[in-house]
Parts: sequence; structure tokens; C-alpha cells
Amino acid sequence: MQCNQFERILEQQDTAAPLPGPALAHIAICEGCRALTADLDAIRKAAMGLDAEGIAPPEHIWISLRNQLEAEGIIHEPNSDVAAAAAPGIGWWSVLQRPALAGAFLALILAAATSISYLGNSTQMAVHPQFVFTQQTSVVPTADNVFKEELLSVDNVSGPEFRRLDTAVTDSIHRNLGIVDNLIVLCEKSVREQPGNAMAREYLYGAYQQKAELLATAMDHGTMGGLQ
Amino acid sequence: MTEAEAIRLAQQGDAKAFERIYSLHSRRVYALCLRMVGNPAEAEDLAQDAFLQLFRKIATFRGESAFSTWLHRLAVNVVLMKLRKKKLAETSIEETNDPDDESSGPRRELGGPDLLLSGSIDRVHLERAIGQLPPGYKQVFMLHDIQGFEHNEIAGLMSCSIGNSKSQLHKARMRLRELLQESLRDQARRDRQAAKTETAGSN
Repeated sequence: MQCNQFERILEQQDTAAPLPGPALAHIAICEGCRALTADLDAIRKAAMGLDAEGIAPPEHIWISLRNQLEAEGIIHEPNSDVAAAAAPGIGWWSVLQRPALAGAFLALILAAATSISYLGNSTQMAVHPQFVFTQQTSVVPTADNVFKEELLSVDNVSGPEFRRLDTAVTDSIHRNLGIVDNLIVLCEKSVREQPGNAMAREYLYGAYQQKAELLATAMDHGTMGGLQ
Repeated sequence: MTEAEAIRLAQQGDAKAFERIYSLHSRRVYALCLRMVGNPAEAEDLAQDAFLQLFRKIATFRGESAFSTWLHRLAVNVVLMKLRKKKLAETSIEETNDPDDESSGPRRELGGPDLLLSGSIDRVHLERAIGQLPPGYKQVFMLHDIQGFEHNEIAGLMSCSIGNSKSQLHKARMRLRELLQESLRDQARRDRQAAKTETAGSN
């Protein structure tokens, strides 16, 4: 076998397949072809290592890819805040982990408890219906105002982080706030009408809790505009 | 998160799952693009395009083939398409742009055993040599020896015969051998020069 015949065999040979007998016999006596075979094998093995290592792409590729995927609606971030607002109780721990929000929340609970307690006792005190009405209209909004003041102070501290806008989330929060506000009005009415009704008080208390969570969520998304 | 979980969640649109898939495969895909086109800016566009196509189609992935095979085939298609558009592929697979190509038998270096490449190929030299290959050689070499495609797959991807694919691969390896040997010789020459300068300096 000549060297050029050997190379033709090498050319059409599958990499993994063993060399045929005549080619093996040739490289046993031809130093040049033996060296060639060894070199090509070394190149092949070195090339295999290149794929395993890869090359790190610049970070901006993922960022722009992600933006594109979001724009096309292919990916979506699970919105835990809205989910938490929709399912009372789930988001409590996250609210309470933030000291400022926990403070605001505590203020609301205290105000709500005072309000409910006052409303409950009002029938015993209410000799003059006009007095009762004045208290009802003054106490409940006060609870709301206390909480709003707390929220505003937290908002001032946290600054620009709260100012991100997310239209979908904002709309959802405002819708839910409207629903909870209506619920609060109904619950307050029930508590006024049936002061001894423990269930009505519990619902009112729950409604305040939901509102606290929604307001916390609104702060996270910088959507306080409509509440201020 | 395992790859299988990531794929399942990505099919439901989970953002974290997409990120996981990207982090698992981006190095290989980017390397493929970079080596094929040799230009970082173009390689970034191609890598992004490949992943974009992957994520658009991920809901259709049913797991009949390995995910990485699917992804790399897709990435190769994106790159080849781009190269065709750039008319680089006007250089047919038969054509090589290699000035000293064809017809000669194996080139014999007279340097003997000291030019054996075994054990002396480092990543930097190899990458540089691959970068100097003519486009047709480079594509087949990349697909076969780096990416691990078989000749029949390459023939399908590049619309050529299996024989052509084998022939291009062999020529690519031969050219690389020359380039690497040249690089070794240059290195040896520089070392000798440095040693001579050092000796002259100490005298």
C-alpha cells in the first residue's frame, strides 16, 4: 500500500471504526503515516475537550432574551403577591418578616380591634342614636387613617424601590382593594346592627386583615398612588 | 432543579425554568456560534436567536430525543441559516478557499518525530487554528469533532453527501495539523531566540 492510498482510506474511514488490515500493515512500516494517524487522533481528542468546556456568553444575552420572551408572553413570573392577596393567610409570614410593614400591620390591627370593640359596646352606651352615628363615622375612618399614615411613612423610608409600576398588578390590587373595602362596609354595618354577633366581628376582623395584606402588596409594587 | 423538571416547568411558562435551561446549555451554544462565525457580536445574536427559537418551540418537545441534541441541532440550524444568508455558504462545501489544497498526498513534514502533536495541543492553539480554517472545513470539523454529530447528520444539515462530509473533515484535520505544527515551530523558534538573547545578556 502506498501512502496516498493509506490517506484515502483514512479520509473515508469512520472515526470510531478500526483501520482495515492493509492500512494497519502500512503504518507498521511507514513512520510518516504512523505520525499522521497519531496527530489526527490527537487533534480529534483535543477538539472533543473544547465542547465540554464551552465558552461563557455575556450576561446581557439572557437579559435581552428574557425581555423578548416576556414581550412575546412566552414566560411569566409567578405573581406571589397577587396570589397571596387572593388567598388570605398565605402572605402573612412575608408581611410580618418586614419590620416596617409589621409595624404598620400591628397599627391597623390595634385600630381595628379598638373599632370593633367600640362598635360592640356602642349599643350598651348608645342612648342617643346621634352619638352612636358620630362615633361610627369617626372611629372606622380613623383606623384607616392610622394605617395609611404608617404606610406613607414606610413609603418615604423605602423610596424609589416602591415606585416601580406594573400595570397588571396595580389593576389587580386596586380591584381587590375595592372588593375588600365593600366587604368592610358590609361587615361594619353588620356589627353595628348585631353587636353581639361574634361571626360578624370575625368577618370584619378578617376584612381588615385582607386590606392590610393588599396595602402591603401595593407598597411592594409602588402602587400607592391611588391610596394617597 | 433537574433538566427534566426545568423542561416540564418551562413548557408551562415558568421563568425560573427557562433561566435554568439557559444556564445549563448557554456555554455550549455560545461556543458553537462563536467558533462558527468567529465574531463575538454575531455569535451573541445567534445564541440569542437559537434560544429564542428553542423557547418558542419548547412546548412541542415531547422527549423522544435528548433535549441537548434537539437544542444543538436547532442552534446549528440557526447558525447555518445565518451563514447561508451571509452568503458565506456560497463557498460550496466542495470549495475550500484553501490555497494549498487538493490532490497532493499527505504532506510529509521532514522534521520527524519532534513535530508529533500528541500531548502538545493546548486549547489556545487549537482554537486559533480552527479560526484559520476555511469556512467549509470549519463547519464540518466543528459539527463532527467538537459537537459530535455523525456524518449522516452533517450531510442532512449541510445538504451534502456523506462522502463529502468525510472528505471535508479529513481535509480540515490535515489543515489543522499543518497549522498546529507551524505554531509549534514558531514557538520553538521564539524559545531558541529567547534563550540566545538570555545567553548573550549574561556574557
